[in-house]
Amino acid sequence: MKRIVKALTAVVLTGAVVYILYSSFRSRDNSSEDDMVIYSGIGSKIASLDPGNIGDTSSSAVASQIFECLYDYHYLKRPYQLIPKLAEDMPKVDEDRIVYTIKIKKGVYFTDDFCFDGRRRELIAEDFVYSWKRLANIKYLSRNWWIFDGRIKGLDDFREYTKSCKSMDEVDYSRPVEGLKVLDKYTLRITLTKPWPQILYLLAHLPTAPVAKEAVNYYGKSIINHPIGTGPFVLKKWNRGSYIEMVLNEGFRDEFYPSQGQEMDIKNGYLADAGKKLPFADRLFFMLIEEDPPMWFLFLQGKLDASAIPKDNFQQAIQEGQNLSEELVEKGVELKTYRNPSTYWIGFNMEDPVLGKNKPLRQAIACCIDKKHYIDLFTNNRAEMAQGFIPPLMKSYDPEITERGFHCDIERGKKLVEQAKQLNKGMLPVLTLAMPSTDVVARQYGQFYKKSFKEIGLELEIDYMDWPTYLEKMHRKDLQMFQSGWIADYPDAENFLQLFYGKNVSPGPNSFNYINAEFDKLYEEASVMPDTPERTKLYRQAQEMIIEDCPAVFLLHGVAFTLHHSWVENYKPNTFQQGLSKFRRINVEKRRAYKY
Amino acid sequence: MLSYIIRRSLYIVPIIFGVMLVTFLLFNIVRGDITDQIAGKAASAETRAEIRKEFGLDKPLFFNDEYSPFTTAFWDSQFFNHLKSAITFDFGYSYNDRELIWDKIKRGAGPSLALTVPMLIGTIVISISLSLVAAYFRGKWFDYAIVLLSITGMSLPFLSFILFGQYFLAFKWGLFPVYFWPDLSVWQYTALPALIGIAAGIGGNLRFYRTVMLDELGNDYVRTAYAKGLSPQRVLFKHVLKNAMIPIVTQIILAIPFLFLGSLLLERFFGIPGLGYLMIGAIGSRDDKIINAMVYISAILFVIFNLITDICYAMVDPRVKFD
Repeated sequence: MKRIVKALTAVVLTGAVVYILYSSFRSRDNSSEDDMVIYSGIGSKIASLDPGNIGDTSSSAVASQIFECLYDYHYLKRPYQLIPKLAEDMPKVDEDRIVYTIKIKKGVYFTDDFCFDGRRRELIAEDFVYSWKRLANIKYLSRNWWIFDGRIKGLDDFREYTKSCKSMDEVDYSRPVEGLKVLDKYTLRITLTKPWPQILYLLAHLPTAPVAKEAVNYYGKSIINHPIGTGPFVLKKWNRGSYIEMVLNEGFRDEFYPSQGQEMDIKNGYLADAGKKLPFADRLFFMLIEEDPPMWFLFLQGKLDASAIPKDNFQQAIQEGQNLSEELVEKGVELKTYRNPSTYWIGFNMEDPVLGKNKPLRQAIACCIDKKHYIDLFTNNRAEMAQGFIPPLMKSYDPEITERGFHCDIERGKKLVEQAKQLNKGMLPVLTLAMPSTDVVARQYGQFYKKSFKEIGLELEIDYMDWPTYLEKMHRKDLQMFQSGWIADYPDAENFLQLFYGKNVSPGPNSFNYINAEFDKLYEEASVMPDTPERTKLYRQAQEMIIEDCPAVFLLHGVAFTLHHSWVENYKPNTFQQGLSKFRRINVEKRRAYKY
Repeated sequence: MLSYIIRRSLYIVPIIFGVMLVTFLLFNIVRGDITDQIAGKAASAETRAEIRKEFGLDKPLFFNDEYSPFTTAFWDSQFFNHLKSAITFDFGYSYNDRELIWDKIKRGAGPSLALTVPMLIGTIVISISLSLVAAYFRGKWFDYAIVLLSITGMSLPFLSFILFGQYFLAFKWGLFPVYFWPDLSVWQYTALPALIGIAAGIGGNLRFYRTVMLDELGNDYVRTAYAKGLSPQRVLFKHVLKNAMIPIVTQIILAIPFLFLGSLLLERFFGIPGLGYLMIGAIGSRDDKIINAMVYISAILFVIFNLITDICYAMVDPRVKFD
């Protein structure tokens, strides 16, 4: 018997040792170390690489390395400034601000592909018209029709026409649209239904990037797997649910690193590559890593070039609130903090019979939340307290707003609850707050809210649900209160104002179902105005109106903390620009010398 | 035996039909409308209507009342389309990324099996070996140690094995890759998760097999074998193990269909692009079409392997007869 035990033990141990040695030996064999490769982690699955149907940030971040838009944000200048990208210059706009004439760059080519029959395919003005009509095609089921909805003359009629087609293939794209005209091979004219100053921001937004008709026709539904753009990188491999590999687009046009920036950019080394041809990297890897621990370990091992800081590792990474820990400084890690164009809130459904007609009740709730404690507890102080919806990053942000709005004031809250009871003609019912998640963190939020409500004498129930259920209930106006937020698509507070516009009630973006004729009038006036001090005044006025009516308790504006290794150069954060990999440079020697 | 197999095979039809009916009711009636999820936050009502049309969600649930002999069939409904897609193995496109579901399944099966097959084999070999020894040394320190190990293993949450293994074995000591990486072979990036799976699975299995072995060791034939002067090795491996085969075979064969499903947590934490990861993603994003396909395939495998188990009984135990 002893011999059996010995033999078995020997077999098992030998097997385990051989397995471990083999695996460890092979895992250190990293042949890609000599290339200039950028390794990035992405936290959620890529749903599509077809720009017309992209609706999530991860997919946008990846696809924007391949596709380009007419305009883009300057990489270094702040406040954010638009510059031409596929456009030759900024557009010529008529006096009424209705007609935009845009010249596109000559000599820009789509990446080579079978669908072009072996010929180089130049980008022409017609490609934009086709791509935008494609967004309008209802059979395409784009998530991004909202961009052009009601904006361009005749495009809504084109959408109506597509409803009569039986399938996507039946749609006749040669059908004219009054507001989209090709004047010559390289000139495009857009005619709007009314002034729309935000159009240029949207023409820098990925879903408006041009796609080639031949590619769409050739690949049909599988176009999502075959992104063919004009950008600096080409898709090499998409191992779905795992990683994406891109290589340099050999035919990429001459584009150069910016030569101008802010004063501090020279000191920070962001202008060292001024005037050099882009991109610098040979290859890009986007690794799908949905869990925090492996993302953090891979960053510390030097496998990933940059990382956010997971909540559980914050103490390890940051000391005294803002500074990088000594351990990470020794490793050569650098910290970048920057404001996000985001606002988070507890929203009220204004159609709810209890909350909708009871302003004191809503204001009481606004008084019971200790935002400072909330930010400390849930974000490790990676946020700023919000009193209104316009984040500090926006030009129209009102710095004096911190003095106004609703601050944590339990006594005032209690008084407002008494008023609310009178208005309700009796006791207040148990209120329900919907949380768009069922995980542990959501439950921690729930506990915090319950405790806060209790302090002013309100009873609260939390309804935890998955995201799709939450979305469905929100669209059906079935939620009484909800935790939510918004990250701006472009640096104009109009993007936040439209969330309260009466015509946008659920299932539109106005999830509060807030209707106020006076606010709508202000919105309609301000949203067509160019960026002037008068418009800023109107924006702030509209915000004041919302604060007073209180369809939401504004909690915080996000502040991002990003870490990157010292071998990643030109790492200047940019919240609006996409396709940033072309600016980054990897110091291969430094990376090789890294020890963890 | 052949008639038994045919009879059992026919049972598969109502079982699978039942599974299909239950999943259909769960996803279409209990869970509600999926359109908002597909359409995105800013979609208009007309886009939602078009999506319903595209995915056949605008059709009646069970029977088409508005059928006509020339245009619409009576069975042109969501449920019959659901059945049809299952029978033809044409599961259509994923709601979320509009990729063919069959392509996803084909791609994920390899990595999942590369993880779960070594896990199963490792767990069985180690558990059976140790359980035989523990049963032989019943009441001795070795047996106590095995029992303690089993109970500890069973008591610890699976996630703690993962976090411990990933932190110490991969990150701190560098013995394994922390996560999937493109230049690694499938065996390299599944090595650590497989070992973790084995370590986490041993506890329960070891306890079960030890009980089976102890039951057998208490039988008369064991005493007879010793009385005949057979060596302990011969008694354990020739007689005890053979007689303990029925529960062992049952457990092993019934575990095989689940190999296909992969491991939800291990695949997610180690970035293994398998079917477990696919499934957990589909559950999170409510991609019911993927969940349906996976449940259907798993149900088929489960009933088939159940039948195989019954056939194997007769092979390992001559007393079992098919009527």
